[in-house]
Formats: sequence, C-alpha cells, structure tokens
Amino acid sequence: MESLNAWAPRVLSLLRIVVALLFIENGTVKLFHFPVGETGAPAVLPTIDLIAGWLEFGGGILLAMGLWTRPVAFILSGEMAVAYFMDHFPQSFWPIVNGGDNAILYCWVFFFLMFAGPGAWGLDEVLRKKTR
Amino acid sequence: MGNLNVWAPRVLSLLRIVAALLFIEHGTMKLIHFPIPQPGVPSPLPTLMVVAACLEIGGGVLLALGLFARPVAFILAGEMAVAYFTAHFPQSPWPGVNQGGEAILYCWVFFYLVFAGGGAWSLDAMMAKRR
Repeated sequence: MESLNAWAPRVLSLLRIVVALLFIENGTVKLFHFPVGETGAPAVLPTIDLIAGWLEFGGGILLAMGLWTRPVAFILSGEMAVAYFMDHFPQSFWPIVNGGDNAILYCWVFFFLMFAGPGAWGLDEVLRKKTR
Repeated sequence: MGNLNVWAPRVLSLLRIVAALLFIEHGTMKLIHFPIPQPGVPSPLPTLMVVAACLEIGGGVLLALGLFARPVAFILAGEMAVAYFTAHFPQSPWPGVNQGGEAILYCWVFFYLVFAGGGAWSLDAMMAKRR
C-alpha cells in the first residue's frame, strides 16, 4: 500500500482546500450572516467575534489558495485553541457535550498543515518553483 | 520553514490520534450513552445507527492505535461520506446550515490518512520496522 504515498501531497491539498472552505463559512456566518446568521449571536458582534470572523474569512481564503500556508495555519490553529478553551471547554470536559469537537479538529488539522505545508497544489508551490 | 517538514510525520500521528479519540466518542454516545446519549436518536437504535456506532468505536480504536491505519481510514471516510449525504445534505446544501461540517472534516482527514498512512507513531510503523 506504500504506492498510495505518491498521492499524499495532492490529497493533502484537497484536505486543505475543503477544510479552508468550511472554515470560511464559519467567518461568513458571523460577519455577513451568510448562508444563515449564527444562532445565539448578539446583533452587534462583540469585538472578539469580529476578530474571529475576519481571521476565519481572511485566513480561510489564504489557506484555500495555499498562500503563506504555514504561518496562516499557525495563526488559525491558535485561534481555534483559544475558541475551544474560551467557548467550549468551560461547559464540559467532554468535547461531544461541550460542542467543541469541530474546533479541536480544525485546530489539529491546521497544526498539521503548519508542519506539512500546502501539499502539491497551492500558490506556495507555484511561487517556490518560480523563484528557483 | 522547510525544516518543519521533519516533524510532519509525528504531528500527523498526533492529528490521527486526536481525530480518532473524538470519533470514538461519537460511537460511545450512540451505543452506550457515554458521556451523554445522542440527542434526538430513537431508542432502541435503528440498525444503521448500530452499524455506524460499531464502526466509530472499533474503527476509532484501531485508528488511535495506528493499526491497519490505511484500510480502516478508507472505511471510516466512506462511513462519513454516507453519513453526510444521508443525514445532513438533504437538509441544505450549506454545511453551515445542515450541521454536516464535522462529518466533512472527518471524511477528509480519514481520506488523507488513506494516502499518508499512520505517521511516525503508530503500530503500523512499529511493525514495518520489525520486518
């Protein structure tokens, strides 16, 4: 099954793009109420939600394109860790009870992207090839 | 920043373990109501949910150990794709509305594991070294 490894960098890029698109949606829900408004959010967004929304929207777009993948993934991973420990963890120790498993998954996928980079398909790769 | 690459196989194993542990919890919630019963699920469980829960617990344990990581990840990625398209997608095409974002995340993380393997810290890697 080792021959599957040849495809790993490409599938990594697909994973990065899918996760980034889902992440952008978290931002647009907060900022633009698209496709729906966030349930239970106050009408005027608190500053911290505003920051989170723009990180999710802007960082998600950079990540989907694979531009500056590693530093962007580092910042977003940190954002998700903060989100988990501020919003979810105080409610319960169990992720399934506190509703924070999404945040944990994002946090760890982004943390992995920081080490693994953008994969085969990403602007980082295009730029790297051009500067050589 | 290329020297971060050295750590990628190890961080991949951490990602695999964390995702697997979270996944096990979905199975225990359905099957043994731990830590809480899954909200909105009929009792007794429909057969499809029992199958899903067994896949989530059994597959999750194997994946956490990193044993047969690639075939197990393949099966679980398929399970999550089925879960998304049967339970979530019919409600709305937007994951933000149909609550299926988590199923998509699991599906793609597992799909990536099919190709990348279990990473540096896994029973698969230990067995490969022993050979």
